[in-house]
Amino acid sequence: MKIAISYPPIVNDQGQKAMVSQNRNVQFFKKPTYLLPVVHGQAASWLKNLGYDVLWDDGNAQLKDFDQWFRDLVAWRPDMVVFESTTPVMKFYWKLVDQLKSACPNCIVVMTGYHSMRRPEETLDRCQADIILRSNHIDFVLRKLVPYIDEHSNWRDHCPIEGLVIRRDEKDYLDTGNFKQIEPLDLSPDVDRDLVRWKDYAYENGNYLQVPGTYATSVIRDCMFGKCTFCRYNGPDLTFSMRSVEKSLDEYQRLVEDYGVREIFDDSGVWYRGAEARQFAKGIIDRGLHKKDCYFGFNTRFGYMDEETVALLAKANFRFLLIGMEASDEETLARLNKGYSLEDVEANLKLFTKYGLFPHLTIMVGYYWQTRKQLQQTVDTVKRLMFEGVARTLQVTLCTPLDFTPYHQECSEEGVLLTDDYDDFDMSKLIVKTPIPHDEYYAAIRDIYGVAFHPKFVGRQVQFLSRMRKSDWQFLFTYGTRAVRRVNQHVFNLTRHEGSPA
Amino acid sequence: MRHKVLSVRDISPTTYVLRLERNGFEFTPGQCVNLGLPGTGVNREYSTYSGAGSEFLEFLIKEVPEGTVSPKLRAATPGTEVDLHGPYGSFVLDPQKITNSKFVFIASGTGIAPFHSFVTSYPELDCQIIHGIRHAVDRCDIEDFDSDRLVTCVSREPLEGRQGRVTDYLKETSLETESFYYLCGNQAMIYDVYDLLRQGGVSGDKIFTEAFF
Ligand SMILES: Cc1cc2nc3c(=O)[nH]c(=O)nc-3n(C[C@H](O)[C@H](O)[C@H](O)COP(=O)(O)OP(=O)(O)OC[C@H]3O[C@@H](n4cnc5c(N)ncnc54)[C@H](O)[C@@H]3O)c2cc1C
Ligand code: SF4
Repeated sequence: MKIAISYPPIVNDQGQKAMVSQNRNVQFFKKPTYLLPVVHGQAASWLKNLGYDVLWDDGNAQLKDFDQWFRDLVAWRPDMVVFESTTPVMKFYWKLVDQLKSACPNCIVVMTGYHSMRRPEETLDRCQADIILRSNHIDFVLRKLVPYIDEHSNWRDHCPIEGLVIRRDEKDYLDTGNFKQIEPLDLSPDVDRDLVRWKDYAYENGNYLQVPGTYATSVIRDCMFGKCTFCRYNGPDLTFSMRSVEKSLDEYQRLVEDYGVREIFDDSGVWYRGAEARQFAKGIIDRGLHKKDCYFGFNTRFGYMDEETVALLAKANFRFLLIGMEASDEETLARLNKGYSLEDVEANLKLFTKYGLFPHLTIMVGYYWQTRKQLQQTVDTVKRLMFEGVARTLQVTLCTPLDFTPYHQECSEEGVLLTDDYDDFDMSKLIVKTPIPHDEYYAAIRDIYGVAFHPKFVGRQVQFLSRMRKSDWQFLFTYGTRAVRRVNQHVFNLTRHEGSPA
Repeated sequence: MRHKVLSVRDISPTTYVLRLERNGFEFTPGQCVNLGLPGTGVNREYSTYSGAGSEFLEFLIKEVPEGTVSPKLRAATPGTEVDLHGPYGSFVLDPQKITNSKFVFIASGTGIAPFHSFVTSYPELDCQIIHGIRHAVDRCDIEDFDSDRLVTCVSREPLEGRQGRVTDYLKETSLETESFYYLCGNQAMIYDVYDLLRQGGVSGDKIFTEAFF
C-alpha cells in the first residue's frame, strides 16, 4: 500500500499560511514557522519500517503552493491519505477531501486530529472521508490499521481495531469504540529524520535559540497534567503515556552526533518532571552530550521543577523552557485549572533564570470573563517579569475555544460564543462575548509586545544573552532578528481586528 | 487555597494518609488536586481519598524515596500549611449511572485512592474493587471496603493462600461486559489490564483510566 501523510498548504484571504503551532493549534502567518508533527512522523516511520511505501507530504514545509501540492499527491497515486484536523481548518479539509476523492476515488482518506476525534460523525457527514481516528495515538492505530486493510478486503464491515469510526456506506458508520488510552511509547520508533526531511523544519522555529534545530520524539504523549480547560490534552478519554528516559537519550545522542543538530526541543505537552527529569539530565551529562554545543528545551508547567532538577538541567545544557502562564490573576488561573498561583510563577521564574535557563512565556487574553482589572493585572505583571529579567521572551494569543475542549463547551453552555463558523476559530480575533470591548484586549497585546522594543528590556536581554555560556554574537543577532520579526507578525495578526465591531 | 495539615497517618513504611482541614472545599469523588508546600513553587497531583461528605480531606500518598514532593508532605507536622489547587479531572462517575450500573475498579498501589473516595461517597454503589500491591502491609484501610467486594492481589508474597498480580486474577475471572471499568495507578498495569478487558469482550467505551506515573 502507498500511504501519504499529508499537510496541504492552506492560505487564507490575507495571503497567510496555516501553520500548526504549539499544542496542535493552527494559526495563520505570512512567514510561517514550521513545526514537525511528531506523532504523525512516528506513524510514517513505523509504516515505512513495516515495508509500506510512505510519502511524507508536508506541502507547507516543502514550500509548495496548493495546486502543485495537490497535483503531486494525485500523481503519486496514494492508496491512503492521512490528514490532521483542527477546528479552524475543518471546512477547508471537508472540501479538500471531496476534491481528492473525485481525483482518486479509491484512495482511503483518514482523518486524525483533535477536532474530528471529538466529532467523528460530523466529518463523515460533511465529506467523503473514510475513517476517523478517535485516538490520539495515530502511530499505534495506523500501525494496526494499515496491515489490516491490506489483508482484509471487507475491513469496512469487520474491523477489530478500537478507536475508529469507519464509513460503511453513505450514512452507515461503524464505531469500534473508545481507543486504548495508554500505549507503550517505546515500541513506536523514533521519527525517521530522513523520511520527514528534518531540515525543512530546522531553521524557522521560534523555539530554537540555535539552528539547525529539531524536535525530539516526544517523551510524553499529550500531557501528564492535562487539566487546563482550554487545552486539547484535557479530555475524559485522555491520560498520558511516557517514553523511557534511556530510549530518548539514545535518540538525542544520534541527533547530536550523526545529524549535527544544535538545538533539540521536546514538544510534549509537558516534559518529564522530578525523578525522570533528573535522570535525563544526568544521562545527557554522562554521555557527554552537554559539551557538544547543542541546547535542549521543552514545555513545562509552573509547579513541576524544583531547584535540584533545574540545576541539573542547566548543567546538561538545557536552555529554552516554554511555559504557559496564561494570566496573572488568581481567578483566571483557577478557572483555567492551571493548578498554581502567581507566587509559584515568580518562584519558578527566579529559579530558572538563576541557573541561566531561558523561560519563554505564553499568555492569553480575551477570556469570556476577563475584566479590565484582570487584564491590566496580567499586562502589568508580564511587563514587570520581563523588565526584571526573569522571563526572556513571550508570546501572546487570543484565547479561542477550540476542538470541543472544556473551555469550548463552557463557552457554548454560557452562551458567549459569537459565531459557530469554524473559519472564525483561527485565533485571529476574539469570538466570545467579553465584559469589556474587544479593542481593549487588542490594545493589551500591543502593550505587552511593546516590551520587546523597550530600551530597558533590550538592555537586559543583551546583558543576559552575552552571559550565556557561549558568546556567539551571530547567534544573538539571528535569534534577535527572528524574534523581532515574529513579534511584528504577532502584533499584526492579533490586532488587525481592532476597531471592528465586537 | 491554604489548608492546615491535621495529621499524617502511616499505612505502611512507604504509604501514608495526609489529612487536611476541609475549609469548605468541594469536589467530586475521583477528581484530583495539586498539593505543595507554600513558597517552594513545586506541586504534584493527588487524587481525593476521602469521601465527598467527610469533615476533612484525605489523600493516600506513596512516598517516593528520591521524590521531590511526596517525602516533604510526609514530613509535614500538624498545623503546617499546604497549598491546594483544584479540584479537577474527569475520572469521576457519571451521576446517571451511580445507582443503576455495575462498576469494577482496578487499582495498583495508591491508585486505590479515588476508589476509596467513590465507595465512601456512594455507599449504595454496586462495585467490585481489585487492588494490586506488592506486600500485604500495603493494604489501605480495608475496613472501609465491603470485604465481599474487595479483592487484594499481592504480587510478592502469599495472602490468604493466593499470590499474584491483578492481571493473574483477571485472567481467571469471567468478565461482566455490561460493567463499567475504572483503571487507576501505574501505566504498565493499565496497559495490560486494558488488553485483558478487551479480550474479555469489554467495549473500549466502558473503560476509563487515570495514570499516576
Ligand atoms: C492525575 C494524577 C493523580 C495522582 N494521584 C496520586 C495519589 O493519589 N497518590 C499518589 O501517591 N500519587 C499520585 N500521583 C502521583 C504524584 O502526582 C507524584 O508523581 C508522586 O507523588 C511523586 O512525586 P514526587 O515529587 O515525590 O516525586 P518526583 O520527584 O516527581 O519523582 C517521580 C517518581 O516517582 C514515581 N512515582 C510517582 N508516583 C508514584 C506512585 N504513586 N507510586 C510509585 N512511584 C511513583 C515516578 O515514576 C517517578 O519516577 C498522581 C499523579 C497524577 C498525574
Ligand atoms: S499544562 Fe495545561 S496547557 Fe500545558 S499541555 Fe498540559 S494541559 Fe495543556
